[in-house]
Amino acid sequence: MKKKIMAIALIGAMIFGLAACGSSGDQGAAAGSAGAENAESAASDMAAIQEKGVLVVGVTDFEPMDYKDADGNWIGFDADLAKAFADSLGVDVEFQEIDWDNKILELDGGSVDCIWNGMTLTEEVTSSMSCTNPYLNNQQIVVVKADVADQYQDEASLADLSFAVESGSAGAAVAAEKGLNYTEVSNQANALMEIAAGSADAAIIDSLMAAAMVGEGTSYEDLTTTVGLTDEEYGVGFRQGSDLTDAANQFFADAYADGTIPALAETYKVQGALVAQ
Amino acid sequence: MAILDVEHICKSFGRTEVLKDISFSLEESQVLSIIGSSGSGKTTLLRCLNFLETPDKGTMKIRDKVIFDADAKTNLSEAQIRENRLHFGLVFQSFNLFPQYTALGNVMLARELEAKGRPDYKAKKKEILAEIEAQAKELLTQIGLAERMNNYPHQLSGGQCQRVAIARALAMRPDILCFDEPTSALDPELTGEVLKVIRELAEQKTTMIIVTHEMAFARDVADTAIFMDDGYILEQGNAKELFENPTQERTKQFLRNYQS
Amino acid sequence: MDTFFQQLPIVLHALNVGFLQTLKLFGVTLAGALPLGLAISFGTRSNIKIIKSIFKVIVWIFRGTPLMIQLLIIYYFPGLVMHNAIWGGGEKGRFIAACVAFILNYACYFSEIYRGGIQSIPIGQEEAGLVLGMTKRQIFARVKLLQMIKRIVPPMSNEILTLVKDTSLARIIALQEIIWAGQAFMKGSQGISGAIWPLFFTGIYYLICNGVLTVVLGKIEKKLEFFR
Repeated sequence: MKKKIMAIALIGAMIFGLAACGSSGDQGAAAGSAGAENAESAASDMAAIQEKGVLVVGVTDFEPMDYKDADGNWIGFDADLAKAFADSLGVDVEFQEIDWDNKILELDGGSVDCIWNGMTLTEEVTSSMSCTNPYLNNQQIVVVKADVADQYQDEASLADLSFAVESGSAGAAVAAEKGLNYTEVSNQANALMEIAAGSADAAIIDSLMAAAMVGEGTSYEDLTTTVGLTDEEYGVGFRQGSDLTDAANQFFADAYADGTIPALAETYKVQGALVAQ
Repeated sequence: MAILDVEHICKSFGRTEVLKDISFSLEESQVLSIIGSSGSGKTTLLRCLNFLETPDKGTMKIRDKVIFDADAKTNLSEAQIRENRLHFGLVFQSFNLFPQYTALGNVMLARELEAKGRPDYKAKKKEILAEIEAQAKELLTQIGLAERMNNYPHQLSGGQCQRVAIARALAMRPDILCFDEPTSALDPELTGEVLKVIRELAEQKTTMIIVTHEMAFARDVADTAIFMDDGYILEQGNAKELFENPTQERTKQFLRNYQS
Repeated sequence: MDTFFQQLPIVLHALNVGFLQTLKLFGVTLAGALPLGLAISFGTRSNIKIIKSIFKVIVWIFRGTPLMIQLLIIYYFPGLVMHNAIWGGGEKGRFIAACVAFILNYACYFSEIYRGGIQSIPIGQEEAGLVLGMTKRQIFARVKLLQMIKRIVPPMSNEILTLVKDTSLARIIALQEIIWAGQAFMKGSQGISGAIWPLFFTGIYYLICNGVLTVVLGKIEKKLEFFR
């Protein structure tokens, strides 16, 4: 991701004769807190949203977090939560589908105001966005074909498998860390397709996603989950230095306390993964 | 009074002097043939007359009116150049017909475009176009192509194409019609029909300048002749005189080569 | 099989919506790039040296870099570097940004095709027009243009078919064209997840579209066969 930004900044500088963009200084600001040194941009962020009267939420089509119902309306645990947050700010919500690879570009470029899409709080994410407190637990989980699943029930057995992982995802980070043999593909759904197509033996994806996409009653009925590799947490990302982060944290605390969040979790069957606020 | 006076024309391409102090004049209703070996400057001279090249020195006059003066400080506007060049018509060696127009369309196109500039065009559009079409059909009939006037150039033989090109040039009613080796690109059996048309034009007293390698034709059809060599006019005068009793050794040698 | 027939109408509807976006991008690009390409080809043939160089550099940049990078720069650069997201975040802004990138890119390719077409017309055509007293403008419009079009139809047809397929690159700025729509069912959308076939099914749309275009362009080529 950083490479892509660098490349664009470089070409941009080349064409327009500008120095590399000055936002690198912001990178040092601690994630999750609107630093006083960024007071100016923080003030403008909240004000800007209330002025235009709409919070633009960057999403991808990702059951059960953000997805479209049969009428094309955005629903899901994250989508409903984002709507409630926008209500609390007194603005409308607008969902914009984005390319996950470009989430930081979208945020920094101002075309969306936040990334609210079952986003794992990785080092990469927390260093480039201002993130909320975690609200859901997630696991990176191994998916294999069901008929061979019993051979791969512990970490040691994974060494001879070839993996497909989403480029830049938490799953890719785990695969690299554990020294697994893996290929990067453009998204988690493609990683599952690689197994189905036989070009990979296994995939590492989010457990919340696996619950919706793998096993009986789904399109990948002959796939199943086996080993859970790492535990991690989902959070919402705002622009660095944004005061919306604090507002969202406050909203999480209130909505958890008044039962809104637990109720939503029931609806979308993620109650087991909920993080207390 | 001469219809055309060319005085002291010089033209260079880079360091190569192609025309050196060319002067001659032409009387109304006369035919001038220009002969000489390849590279002697004949074609460049015709191109200068038609404003496709700009001479470095010299003047050109039509009926004593200056249409080109290399020393004149003011540059002529594109419109003035167009007006001046319309004193001349030019028939190319390679015809240069417009392939997407029929024979009739080729003859009419330039006059149609010219007519659009007329102040009364909008009011009398129909009559004007009808007149242009009638004139074009008459010209094509005159050159014996009435039957082929709706054919496209690629459906015509080389000789027929060149005859259409002649009609196209005549449609603009030039004072002087120039021919640049009109039969050089044709098969020998097709040259006759083109030469016949030119001969008929001469009989109708059309003022013409003909650059050609057809020596017998040049001698028969022309009133006056010019022999060019290495950018100079080496000899000029009565056509019969020049062809039968050339005064210059170089002219004799050139004509001998053609007889053998 | 039952599920397939339940899914089919949902998928077809989504693919139709995506394909409409594909066609819109294709149509706008063609309508913009055909005339702009001609203007650029005049620019690169200008007698004024500085204008000629500027246009040559523009053509070099747009032909020398991937369209994907151009899309990313045109869409994200204003917001990232100039802190002014001129395109906005919505569908419309993304579509306009994609059109700008595609028109500029394709105009540069088209300009080179035009240039080749104009230069391949014998000089004698212009000279014949001049000695008949026609203006340069008239010569271009009435003599050279149709001859140029005839010469460029085959290479242009190639580029146009490529353009249909290249529209899928606009996915990079989240323009939801047909491949995006097909891929959505792999990730999960409208109750269908992990469905691979919609993505491959998009190929049929491209095939039909390019089939129609091939016939139309072939007809144009045939129409221009009346002269040589």
